[in-house]
Amino acid sequence: MSVSNLLENWSEFRHKHPVEDVPHDPYKWAMSIDLDACTGCNACSVACYAENNLPVVGKEKYAHGQAMHWMRIERYWPEDDREFPDQGAQFLPMMCQQCEAAPCETVCPVGATNHTPDGLNSQVYNRCIGSRYCSANCPFKVRYFNWYDYPTTENVWPAEMTQQLNPDITLRGKGVMEKCTFCIQRIRVGQRSVKNEGRVLRDGEVQTACQQVCPTNAITFGNLIDTESKVHQQWKAQRVELAVDEQTKDKEEGGSDLRGYRILEELRPYPSVMYMERVRESAI
Amino acid sequence: MHRFIRFSILLMGLFVASSSYSAEAQLAPLTTADDLGPAIEQPIEFPHFRHAKDMQINCMYCHTYARRSSVAGIPPIQKCIGCHQSIESVRESPRIKKLFEYWEANKAIPWKKVHDLPDFVRFNHERHIKRFVFQQNRPVQEVCGACHGDVKEMTVARRQKPLSMGWCISCHEKDHVVTAADGMPVDDQANKASPMGPLSTTGVAVGDQAYWYSMKKPAVNAAGVVVAKGPNDCSSCHY
Repeated sequence: MSVSNLLENWSEFRHKHPVEDVPHDPYKWAMSIDLDACTGCNACSVACYAENNLPVVGKEKYAHGQAMHWMRIERYWPEDDREFPDQGAQFLPMMCQQCEAAPCETVCPVGATNHTPDGLNSQVYNRCIGSRYCSANCPFKVRYFNWYDYPTTENVWPAEMTQQLNPDITLRGKGVMEKCTFCIQRIRVGQRSVKNEGRVLRDGEVQTACQQVCPTNAITFGNLIDTESKVHQQWKAQRVELAVDEQTKDKEEGGSDLRGYRILEELRPYPSVMYMERVRESAI
Repeated sequence: MHRFIRFSILLMGLFVASSSYSAEAQLAPLTTADDLGPAIEQPIEFPHFRHAKDMQINCMYCHTYARRSSVAGIPPIQKCIGCHQSIESVRESPRIKKLFEYWEANKAIPWKKVHDLPDFVRFNHERHIKRFVFQQNRPVQEVCGACHGDVKEMTVARRQKPLSMGWCISCHEKDHVVTAADGMPVDDQANKASPMGPLSTTGVAVGDQAYWYSMKKPAVNAAGVVVAKGPNDCSSCHY
């Protein structure tokens, strides 16, 4: 790309938002998480381990920051004078936000992570060369690197546990980046089966593993384009828009008392996950 | 002088390297994605030609999962016995004898996989069969043969196509003719006005039909025919 080319076609290169020129149709997968309902029970994280063949790295590697939890529960402690048992943590489930203008996508030297027509941020394992640039550029730090060849590492999956590995998803080898995929294997199965019936997916036909196990139904996943879907209804009720870096409701005089927000929205990654602020004082 | 010696050593080195390379190349030919793979020895030399050509049995009579799941499936031994227990004429042939040995021993026949894709590739039989056999009404053997070769002329199956990504893409990148007769979605959302407008005489928006099959944006070519490229998004097959 020469400088003159860059200057001449500047408006073409400088996209404000990628979905404007290629609209998602008929699917745009999105999520909303109700932090008021979240009890921090970690069931979503466990379900994710089971569904997506995540390696259990063990205490030592975990301490080195090599944990492979695509879905992690972040804990925040309120800074008041209370001691631990009464203090009460605040929980925030954090997974790949499937950004519309994902910072990880632009920096991948081999194009191993790119945007799908249904609004996901895909990770192509066999294309990844392990530069870890994407992880460095991810503001949410939700990309995880295979430092070891976990399928052959001892105690990751003991002999009898290899039987529970999910055959619908690739077992990642050493030197490959991975992240939450919104359970793409379930989405693809759903999409293919409804294609045979000649219709589009209805709300609730595809569930992510974390959504399925959540005991308080804090996680909602669905098609944002489908006006009937629960996730669309929630985004609409909270007045959270996908393709903006500042919500209209926040610009209003005095702000809004609606709970919906997106994390690090001001960095303009246009995340596909909406969180709903907590109302009650503490989780415990 | 030094320069000359250095140069001659370099030349000798190059010569040795190239000769050893060619010697190695003769011993083990380079395997590429276009290599058709080794001939796989199966426990029973199954005569595909007898079943598919002479008897005209539909591929999907035995590979019954092809039309309803991502894998085509190998028939269980019950399926073989189901017919062969009443075919007395071949009962004493060596292959059938071997078949009944497995049957009597209550053992599955350990068939080996011939068309083995890498684990990071998700090929879906169902979608291809549904589209080409059931919607376009093409002959089954032609549709299966697009990837599996001319199986009706084989005994045990042999890989005839490269099954590499470039080979898959060579079909998915083609301009496919899009017609309304190829079947259409019934859902209202998919039947809404297409950016191409209703192009067929039957009132079905052909452009939508192309989108429906995750094809790329259809276009009218020089001959006035609506064409579209097949789905070629990475995450359709790799996840």
